Amino acid sequence: MNKSEQPPKLLIRFFRWYCNPDYAEDIEGDLLERFEKRRVKGKAAKWLYAIDVFGLLRPGIIRNFKKTQKLSNMAMIKNDIKTSLRLIKKEKLYSGINIVGLTAGFAIALLILFYVQFESSYEAYNPNADKMVRITMDYLDGETLVDQDCETYHVLGPMIKDEFPEIQDFTRAFGVDDMQLRIEDKYLRGLKIYAVDQSFLSLFNYPLLQGNKKSALAAPNQIIFTESAAIKYFGTTDILGKTVIGRESYPPLEVVGIVPDSPANTHLKFEMLVSYSTMKPELDERESEWNSNDTFTYLQLVSATQYSLFEKNLAAFSNRLREEDFIPEERIISEKITDIHLYSDKSYEAEPNGDATTVFFLLGVALMVIIIAIVNYINLSTAKSLDRAKEVGIRKVIGSSMFQLRMRFFIESLLMNFIAGLATLIIVVLAWNWFRDLTGLVLSHEIYETSFFWSLFLSLLFISTLLSGSFPAFILSSFQPVTVLKGKYTHSSSGVFLRKSLVVFQFCIAIFLLIQTFTATKQLSYMQQKDLGMKTEQVLVVRAPHNKQIKNLGPFKTDLLSQADFRSVALSSSVPGQNTGDMSSTTNINLKDAIEERSNNFFIYRIDSNFIPTLEMELVAGDNFSQNNNIEIPIIVNEEALVQWGITNPEEVIGKQSRFWGRDNTIVGVVKNFHQISVKSDHLAMIFLHTLKYGDYLSVRLNNGKILDQVDKLEKTYSRHFPNSPFDFFFLDQDFDSQYKSDLQFQQAFSVLSLFAILITCLGLFGLASFTVAKRAKEIGIRKVLGASVSQIITLLSKDFLLLVIISSLVAFPMTYLLVEQWLSQYAYRIDVSFWLFAIPMGIVLLVACLTIFSRTFKVSNANPVHSLRDE
Amino acid sequence: MGKHHLGEFEEVVMLTVAILTNDAYGFSIIEEMENRLNRNVSIGALQTVLRRLEKKGYLTSELGESTSIRGGKRKRFFTLTSSGKKVLQETKEQRMGLWSAVPEFVFGK
Repeated sequence: MNKSEQPPKLLIRFFRWYCNPDYAEDIEGDLLERFEKRRVKGKAAKWLYAIDVFGLLRPGIIRNFKKTQKLSNMAMIKNDIKTSLRLIKKEKLYSGINIVGLTAGFAIALLILFYVQFESSYEAYNPNADKMVRITMDYLDGETLVDQDCETYHVLGPMIKDEFPEIQDFTRAFGVDDMQLRIEDKYLRGLKIYAVDQSFLSLFNYPLLQGNKKSALAAPNQIIFTESAAIKYFGTTDILGKTVIGRESYPPLEVVGIVPDSPANTHLKFEMLVSYSTMKPELDERESEWNSNDTFTYLQLVSATQYSLFEKNLAAFSNRLREEDFIPEERIISEKITDIHLYSDKSYEAEPNGDATTVFFLLGVALMVIIIAIVNYINLSTAKSLDRAKEVGIRKVIGSSMFQLRMRFFIESLLMNFIAGLATLIIVVLAWNWFRDLTGLVLSHEIYETSFFWSLFLSLLFISTLLSGSFPAFILSSFQPVTVLKGKYTHSSSGVFLRKSLVVFQFCIAIFLLIQTFTATKQLSYMQQKDLGMKTEQVLVVRAPHNKQIKNLGPFKTDLLSQADFRSVALSSSVPGQNTGDMSSTTNINLKDAIEERSNNFFIYRIDSNFIPTLEMELVAGDNFSQNNNIEIPIIVNEEALVQWGITNPEEVIGKQSRFWGRDNTIVGVVKNFHQISVKSDHLAMIFLHTLKYGDYLSVRLNNGKILDQVDKLEKTYSRHFPNSPFDFFFLDQDFDSQYKSDLQFQQAFSVLSLFAILITCLGLFGLASFTVAKRAKEIGIRKVLGASVSQIITLLSKDFLLLVIISSLVAFPMTYLLVEQWLSQYAYRIDVSFWLFAIPMGIVLLVACLTIFSRTFKVSNANPVHSLRDE
Repeated sequence: MGKHHLGEFEEVVMLTVAILTNDAYGFSIIEEMENRLNRNVSIGALQTVLRRLEKKGYLTSELGESTSIRGGKRKRFFTLTSSGKKVLQETKEQRMGLWSAVPEFVFGK
């Protein structure tokens, strides 16, 4: 028969599907016979066949799939829930371990995923963000990269906008942190102020809460406050039209607007904005020249898809500027602003950025912890398979389908996960504040108020149920009832192997986490204890008074030093540990008699002659600044500067001259390298200029004494000599160490994580050991009767597990070594990976594992064999 | 006897089964009905009625031998049970009673 002589296959299948199987055969035969007859008669047999098939869709003919099956499933589910709850209640150890493990896993995963989401959400508040780029500078020596700087030339913004059709708009953000404001007789310093073009507000999507969008920031001498800055400094947001004094000699600034506070997830946070033209007198020459790159420049693309085109054009543009000698040793590149927070780590960043490596590390670890918890569940439930095998066998004999059996195990895992989920919610709510402090997350709302949290929570619950439930569901439901019920079934060897591999896997993770924690801890203490090349202890740093009062510096110093508590006072424009923004940087400084000109980048700040002794830095050659050495413009350089110049003997450079900033500077001394910025980065090449009265910081070295009294005395002296100037102070060592905040957070986070990982792993091990011991109770009894000692039995029971831990270490070590090396490579000064770094964590894991197993085996080994042997 | 009342279609189907005696299966019943009564019968309607009658105990069925026609599908042969025969008889008698009670002039001659 060819195809047209047969009824349509699909219809036959449909019929077979719905028809009561008792009737299917003969009716199908009838249908076929009728079809045949019609076909021979030349009727539209297929159509009529279809009509017949659909005509048979009647209650008397179709099978019963609706009523009985669905109803019984509901009943089974009810029954499953009931028996699962009973099981959870009965097997307290088993369910306790699972629930505690899952809870810890969930809580950690939730918090960390939340953190990761926050870190990667930077600039997401801004709908323009995908179109926004920042241009930055690369300093080159030939073609090698010397340094990267995120501040650019003031001319670039307007130039690029004119020249590039794909650029819609630009804004500059020129940090004027050094500007002091006078608001109603109060002098304020250290504010976050940027001078910005008018387009800033629309590019960065700051709506004006008050003020006129058209005119705000359009004219010179205008200032905008954020809401909370207004409240902080004025006590009210009703400040439109008020004036504040900026620089004393300039016209006062008029408040023209209020904007909402910068969101927590933007890299460019500010308290106030002044119109760019306000800075005109200062910036006039910079607008046309190529000497000072000290402004952030942001561009908005017409559309996000044009980024690669823009990058290409920018490279060509940069090459042209280079050939025309505007920027001889530099290159202009761009980065998307959405990448700034996690991927950009250049000089003069607006704030210390996050770090993609850390975020990925944490993400990976969170996943590992939750995997450990799920593995526990799988391991324990398969280890218990012996108990469950009979149940499965009987269920099958009674007529349970595979589907129903699997359902049963899924429901059990769903219940466990659900209970763990509830516990997780409680823990997250309780731990939220602690977690927020630990990570430094700044959020305006509680975690459980975000829809992200809930969707995360639910999907985690779903995935975990699926993963933890599917394994027992498929393994346990596959038992053959006959074997199981005959009592022959002991355990499948493949199940044991799988369980062992999973334990190895868990311990691998735990060992890795512990080693990483150890490394992070050691690296942190290494950085904190490293010889900084100066002494930061017992140094109080006070913000220098504003310019008008600095003339009182002399009397202040004399007054202060007459008190026994204070040893010395130094004035400088930056101190170690401060933002690089406090320093100037200048490229391509060379000695006048240098044979070859080298490309380099120097950081420069001003110090007075007390600075080096106050911080107890060491001069390796030459002398400190002094008023009577008749040199017109003396400078001091550090050892790193000599490296840049290729000079090995520091004595060589004393008295030599270097020309920069349009004048000849004479080197009078070489100071030993010290860490201007944290030990994380390499030493900077530095030059110090001599100052008598310009500086932002007064460093005061204290003699031994009561710190609180000393601060008090210092404040009194300060306000006596500098009325109106606020007394802002910090301890140099604390402030310097605050640079390690992120490292400390990382280390703490890792400690907590590895603690939990080990805890969960050991819980699992504890459970496994309990089952093994329970299973072998009779064997142990017999052994004891035959004369085995307690220690022999403990060894017998423990050695399998300990072997697993040792195998885990061997597996974990190579991977851990690579990861730890990778992590350490981000530090300029780092510890070496040593034997002990690996041996100690492994020892700890081994010890904890031993204790865990011991706690189970000891009781059994000591038990009277009669108890285990009396009943058979 | 209201309890054992047969519907018209049921009656016709049972009669056809009686006519076909040993060869009453789904398709042959349809053909017979179509030939004799000149009415279209759908398989769906017929099968439903057959099953219903079987449930009521008026018909029994058994599967025949498998043959190469009909794609190897066996036929289900229906036969009247004794209660089926009885109910047919009763129905017939009721009708006859009714017919005989009709005055002659109604249909004329």
